[in-house]
Amino acid sequence: MNKKSSKISTSNENYSHLELINLGKIFFKEKKFIDFRSKGNRSGFEAIKDINLKIEKNTFVSIIGPSGCGKSTLLNLIAGLQAPTSGKIIIDGQAIKGPGPDRGVIFQNYALMPWLTTIQNIEFALNTVFPAKTKADVKERARKYLRMVGLEKASNKFPKELSGGMKQRVAIARALSINPNMLLMDEPFGALDALTRSYLQDELLSIWRKNKVTVVLITHSIEEALLLSDKIVLMSSGPSAIISEEISVDLERPRDREKIEQDPTYLKIKMRLEKHLLRETRAVEEVT
Amino acid sequence: MNKAISTRLTFAVAILSLLIFIILWQVIAQQGLLVKNFPGSFKTIGSLIWWVSDPFFDNGPNDLGIGTNLLISLRRVLIGYSLAVLVAIPLGVLMGMSKLAQSSLNPYVQLLKPVSPLAWLPVGLFVFRNSEITGIFVIFITSIWPTLINTAFGVASINPDYLRVSKSLGASKSTTIRRVILPAIMPNILAGMRISMGTAWLVIVAAEMLLGTGIGYFIWNEWNNLSLENIFVAIIIIGFTGFILDQFFGFLQDKFDYSI
Ligand SMILES: Nc1ncnc2c1ncn2[C@@H]1O[C@H](COP(=O)(O)OP(=O)(O)OP(=O)(O)O)[C@@H](O)[C@H]1O
Ligand SMILES: [Mg+2]
Repeated sequence: MNKKSSKISTSNENYSHLELINLGKIFFKEKKFIDFRSKGNRSGFEAIKDINLKIEKNTFVSIIGPSGCGKSTLLNLIAGLQAPTSGKIIIDGQAIKGPGPDRGVIFQNYALMPWLTTIQNIEFALNTVFPAKTKADVKERARKYLRMVGLEKASNKFPKELSGGMKQRVAIARALSINPNMLLMDEPFGALDALTRSYLQDELLSIWRKNKVTVVLITHSIEEALLLSDKIVLMSSGPSAIISEEISVDLERPRDREKIEQDPTYLKIKMRLEKHLLRETRAVEEVT
Repeated sequence: MNKAISTRLTFAVAILSLLIFIILWQVIAQQGLLVKNFPGSFKTIGSLIWWVSDPFFDNGPNDLGIGTNLLISLRRVLIGYSLAVLVAIPLGVLMGMSKLAQSSLNPYVQLLKPVSPLAWLPVGLFVFRNSEITGIFVIFITSIWPTLINTAFGVASINPDYLRVSKSLGASKSTTIRRVILPAIMPNILAGMRISMGTAWLVIVAAEMLLGTGIGYFIWNEWNNLSLENIFVAIIIIGFTGFILDQFFGFLQDKFDYSI
């Protein structure tokens, strides 16, 4: 599965890795068995509409937008966890039909299984994606990825024994262990303290550089988006949120946290993002 | 306070209260304060020792050792209960996962759950013509609802993140059920099984009064012998057995407690 998709992408370098075409999602109210009031017309809530986006291979893209605009919805669509109401998602030139191990997903609240130890959580992913692999192979590989995020010592601990930052590292290791071409992250560092966050940001960057993956990161932190991304996608406030702007971040890598803040390009983009977010957030406040 | 001292103190208080209870009981019975011929604690303890020292004799169905009767009751409960759990868990998972199963089965569950299982006893006797199977059948009906309802509730309220992880990895439905849903709802299943066992143990005593043999029948028999002290012996043994069974599930629940 993995091999196949990477072969396609290398022979067709002109394709974008990910392409969203007129993507839209409407949440329909679930119809109750006995519901006299909502006769007939199925009214729905349009979360996002007409989303068009191209993401190149091995780039780092951040999606930023006001709270509740539909960022998680968009990520779930790309992950294949929900079906779009309209439009298409193309990966390596082919429309996706559902979730797949070519995409590793990292959820906002870690989503580790509490009845499994750290290493078993990773082994679960490996066993599911590579059922043909032997037990020893799976264990070996799980260890390798735990080592990568610096947690080999915690391999027999249960999630409840880990700190938030450690849990998120396990989640990252789990997502990477299946060797995805794309990493989808939904506000992965939102719940962490500032120090842990910057440590994990650096770790994510080095993983991204080494592993050749395309990263789509949802964040509400302008600084995080600027520090990490090649491109920042701005979403408008919902309902019916659209992509209102795409900004290329032409800052040299590696980026230094301190120095980058004096860079005029950085400051220019930052101002633009702040203005946008303020305007869209105000729009949300006025609607509600 | 020191922990060792505090456990020792708790133990001493428990022993003391038991002694006071035994003495009060004996005094009240001896003075005939309640009713005449009410057995005192000394007589009851004497009976208890007599029954417990030779628990497994068998002189025909109306004269069985208390251990023999207890084992008969436990066997009925364990068979009926195990069958109920084997039905309740898969059915509960089905009800939790499928809207169709939920809406087609829930009316029956809601309607049958509040009915005393003893109401099924004549039905069982009529259908099976066998008191042994009827006892098992009544325990089956008793045990099924709490486990079924807890399992279904567990599935319906499972953390959606676990399912999302499973789905994003492309796990099959059977993998998701075996490796994600079942372990995730283990606390719910055990809570249901604990309630089921508690109710089954309550119901078997009543059911056996009408069935012959078993600890419940022992009580009925001793009532016909007007031997209240033997009934107290049975009550003590039933209570103790129920306590052990409940503790066993408490132990399992602690093992499967995922909370932080
Ligand atoms: N399953 C659903 N059914 C109905 N409405 C939904 C569903 N999921 C999301 N929505 C709605 O769609 C909108 C977008 O939700 P989404 O979670 O994608 O926003 P978000 O941008 O990720 O928000 P946040 O910044 O708070 O994480 C919200 O108004 C939400 O109420
Ligand atoms: Mg979100």
